[in-house]
Amino acid sequence: MSATAADPGARLRAEAARALARIVFDGVSLRSAFDARAARNADPRDRALLSATLFESTRWWLRFDAALAGMLERPLPSKAREVRALLVLALVQVEVMAMPSYAVVAACVDAVRLLGQPGLAGLANAVLRRWLREREARLAALDADTTTQAAHPRWIVDALRADWPEAWRGMIEANNHAAALTLRVNRRRSTREALLERLVADGVGATAHGDLDDAIVLDASTDVSRLPGFAEGHFSVQDGAAQRVATLLGVADGQRVLDACAAPGGKTAHLLERASLEVVALDADAGRLPRLRENLARLGLSAQVRQGDAAAPAAWWDGRPFDRILVDAPCSATGIIRRQPDVKLHRRASDIRVLATTQRRLLDALWPLLVPGGRMLYTTCSVLRTENEAVVAGFAAAHADARTIALPDGLGEAAGGGRQNLPGSGGMDGFFYALVEKAH
Amino acid sequence: MALMKIVEFPDPRLRTVAQPVTVFDAELAKLVADMFETMYEAPGIGLAATQVDVHRQLLVVDVSEDKNQPLVLVNPRVVERSGTQVCQEGCLSVPGIFADVERAERIRVEAQDAKGAAQVIEADGLLAVCIQHEMDHLAGKLFVDYLSPLKRELVRKKLAKQRRNAA
Ligand SMILES: C[S@@+](CC[C@H](N)C(=O)[O-])C[C@H]1O[C@@H](n2cnc3c(N)ncnc32)[C@H](O)[C@@H]1O
Ligand SMILES: [Zn+2]
Repeated sequence: MSATAADPGARLRAEAARALARIVFDGVSLRSAFDARAARNADPRDRALLSATLFESTRWWLRFDAALAGMLERPLPSKAREVRALLVLALVQVEVMAMPSYAVVAACVDAVRLLGQPGLAGLANAVLRRWLREREARLAALDADTTTQAAHPRWIVDALRADWPEAWRGMIEANNHAAALTLRVNRRRSTREALLERLVADGVGATAHGDLDDAIVLDASTDVSRLPGFAEGHFSVQDGAAQRVATLLGVADGQRVLDACAAPGGKTAHLLERASLEVVALDADAGRLPRLRENLARLGLSAQVRQGDAAAPAAWWDGRPFDRILVDAPCSATGIIRRQPDVKLHRRASDIRVLATTQRRLLDALWPLLVPGGRMLYTTCSVLRTENEAVVAGFAAAHADARTIALPDGLGEAAGGGRQNLPGSGGMDGFFYALVEKAH
Repeated sequence: MALMKIVEFPDPRLRTVAQPVTVFDAELAKLVADMFETMYEAPGIGLAATQVDVHRQLLVVDVSEDKNQPLVLVNPRVVERSGTQVCQEGCLSVPGIFADVERAERIRVEAQDAKGAAQVIEADGLLAVCIQHEMDHLAGKLFVDYLSPLKRELVRKKLAKQRRNAA
C-alpha cells in the first residue's frame, strides 16, 4: 500500500510545510503560523513535532534553503513554494533534529503529493537522496560563510560584528540554541518553594534561579498551561532578563506607575505582584489588550488598562504625574532570536533606524509625565546599540533634568548609560536596561 | 540488497494467486530485505510479494511514523475480524490513484515470520487496513476492484495517460 492521506508522518509534514511557507514567504509570525495549525493537531505528540519542526526550520532556514538551492539546477517556481519549504524542513529534520533519514525522505516524498504537486515527487526524492550522498561536502561548503553556517542574514551578522566585536560570535551561537523555559512565581498566590514542590511532585524537572527571587527554570520545554497551578494564577512564563525589570524600577507600595508599552502584560503583572501600586497599563495595539486583561485576571491583579499611543499622552493622560515609568519599547527583538527565530527572516536592516526614532519619541513624550525625583526605566530586547545606548544618550543630552543612574555590573555589559545582557548570558535573553532619574 | 521492480495495474500478473511459503532459508531472508528496501524507497507502508512478481504468500508492512516498526507476515490468515472503517487507500501498483475503501476495523491474523516461527497479530486502524490491502494482493485482488466498474475504467484511462506522459 502506498502511504496515503492517512499516513500521519506525511500529513504532518505537509502541514508543517504549509505553515513554514506562510512564515518564510508571507511574513506571518512563527507563533501565529503554529497556532493556526496547532488547533488541528489535538495529539500532543503531533503538536510537539510540529512545533519543533517549525522552530528549527525557521531558525535554520537560511542554511538549508541555501543547501537546497545548491542542489537545484534552477530555482523552484513560486507556485511550488510549499514544496521548497518541505524540502528545507526535510533537511532540517535530518541534520538538526537527527531524525532517521529514510523516514524523513519517505514521508516528505509523500507529503509532496499531499501538497498537490505529484509531478515534483520525483525531484524531491532525487534531491533528498543526493543530499544524503553528498552531505559532508555540502555541509563544509555551507560552513565557509557565517550567513550559511549560522543561518543569520548578512545584515545581522554585520550589525553584531560592528556593535560587539568581541562577543558577536558567541551571540550568534546563542541565537541558534533553544532557550530554557523560565517561570515567574506569583508571590501573591504562592511561593517559589511551594510551586517547586508541586512541580517536582508532578514529575516536572525544575530549579530555583540563583539570582532572581521569583524565577524557576524548567529542565525541559513543556505546555505550561498543563502545569499544576497555571489556571489558578500561581505563575507566568517570563524570561529571567525580563524578571529583573520589576526590581530595577524600584517600586514601593502606594506609587503611581505607568507601563507605557504594556501588552501582553508580563512586566505589568510582575510589578503588581511585588507591590501595591496604581498602575496604568497602556498599549497602542488594541488587539493585544485582551491578552493583557486575561493575564491580569488569571493572576488576580488589577490595573487601569488603556489603549493609546504613548508618544501622544494628551489623548489618554489624566494629568496626574507618575512616580515610575516603564518604557519596554517596541524593538527589533534581536536579543531574543533564540526564542523568536523568525526575527532573522522578518526584520530588515532599514527597520532599525525607524525603531530608534520611535523609541526616542516615546522617551521624549513620556518624560513630562514623571514627577521630579521620579524614575523612568527604558528596556528593549534588542542587542543593537542604535536602539539602546544611542537612544538613551540622545535623550539624556536633550533633557537637562535627566540623569542616568549607574546599574549594577551583574546586569551585563556596560553599554553607554545602560547595561546589556547578551543573549544566553546567565541563561537569559538579550536585554537592554537604562534607568533615568528626573531632577527635583 | 537490491530494489525490485513493482508490477503495475493492469498487468495480469497482479491477478496471480500466491502459493504458501514452505522453505524458510537465506533466499527468503534476502527477498524480505529487498522487499523492505523497495517499499521504503517507493515510498510505501506495505508491499505484497505479488507486486514484485513473486507469487508466494509473503508481505511486509511498516505504518510507523519513523519507519522503524517493520513487520513481515508469511502465510497470513485472518482468524477474526470486527467493525468497519473507511480509509483512503493508495497502492504502489496503482500509482497516483487514491480511493476510499471499506475494511474491517480490527483483525486478528495468524502468520509466520521470516524464520517460520508462528506469530499472532492484533491490528486496528491503519495497520489493519494495510494488512488487509496486502493480503488482497496475495489473493490476486486490488483495491480498485472495490470501485464501481465506471470508476475502475476511469482509473485505467488515467494510468494509461500517466504512462504516456512519463514516456
Ligand atoms: C516589547 S512589547 C511589550 C511587552 C510587555 N511589556 C510585557 O512585558 O509583556 C512592546 C509593546 O509596545 C507596544 N507599542 C508599540 N508602539 C507603541 C506606542 N507608540 N505606544 C504604546 N505602545 C506601543 C506594542 O503594541 C507592544 O505590545
Ligand atoms: Zn497495493
